[in-house]
Amino acid sequence: MKRMLSVFGLLLFATTNVALVGAELTDERCNKLVAELQPGKDAVWRTIPWELSVQQARALAFKEDKPIFIWAMDGHPLGCT
Amino acid sequence: MPVAIDQACQRRQKDAEGDLYRSIAAQGPRSNFQNTTQGFYIASPAGKLLLYNNNRDPSKLLRLMRGSLREYELGAYAFDRDKVQAEIDTAADRKQDSRYTLQPPKGGLVVRVHARVLDGYKEPETESAAVFQKALSRDNLWITADEQAEIIAGRLPAALKRRIARYHLVDNTRGEPPMWKVGEIKNMELDLEDGKLVGAVHLETEDGTRGYKAELRGNLKASGNRVTEFQLVALGEFFGEGRYTRNAPHGKFPFAVAFQLADGTDVADAVAPQGARGWLDGYLK
Repeated sequence: MKRMLSVFGLLLFATTNVALVGAELTDERCNKLVAELQPGKDAVWRTIPWELSVQQARALAFKEDKPIFIWAMDGHPLGCT
Repeated sequence: MPVAIDQACQRRQKDAEGDLYRSIAAQGPRSNFQNTTQGFYIASPAGKLLLYNNNRDPSKLLRLMRGSLREYELGAYAFDRDKVQAEIDTAADRKQDSRYTLQPPKGGLVVRVHARVLDGYKEPETESAAVFQKALSRDNLWITADEQAEIIAGRLPAALKRRIARYHLVDNTRGEPPMWKVGEIKNMELDLEDGKLVGAVHLETEDGTRGYKAELRGNLKASGNRVTEFQLVALGEFFGEGRYTRNAPHGKFPFAVAFQLADGTDVADAVAPQGARGWLDGYLK
């Protein structure tokens, strides 16, 4: 029974994949995918006025008498995931 | 004052930007600049470290940030303003390390590149796994001025097609991806006719553990000597993962990449392509 369910699961997954990638890539589908592959407006971190240089952030922090907050990653945090 | 950086650049940069970053990071636990220094840092404008943390729990981080701000406002990190002003002025005059301060090609184009795994994940076991599974990646494709002129003339330069394949048809939704080697481009057809882009791509490692086969389709428009629309979609099946992109779906999974001309309204439009880090010439050639 477990094996049957696994086979059924694989078939279902394969069918889903065919539906997602198998159909013709029409202009309409392209436009839909481009629209879907956009960052959501509800992503709060995107509303933060990020600087891209520590020096620039330091100059602004100095002017406003605030600390500097550095988000340092492997790969750019604004250009990664 | 928030700043987002790829520390792989700043920890190596031989200029004022690198010196400032390393002087702050050296006060934390990740002071060996041969290795990653990633994390969250809070520092005073004088460069005194208030906090280092690498916890991705938003509520914990917010609590720590508020605590640091409170200490700062209470004057615990007071500094000599004249001295810091002089440091800022001096730093502005220093030459930048050109390897890590890449600028988009003059007269060229910046194209936003977003990718997503469309299906195939098993049920996530943690909250962070769920975030990665739904993640939309972001990178930028750079196109040179000469390439733009070629495009307007109705030709797609081979170097541009190769760049798209090697550095931008990658699964970067869970972290830094391995880029494709030249020999891993098994097929890359992309033709431009009457403003339509049509093609197909097959990328695969020699050992067959990672690959992507996709259809390509898009639109291009130009006005005068400027490309005004560049839209391209890759849709196909991906398999495999990289050292820093673990936990991909098992087997082949549907994967899409969308390219769209950047308009400069997003701060991320100014970020250099991941594939150009440290070797712009190699990325563009």
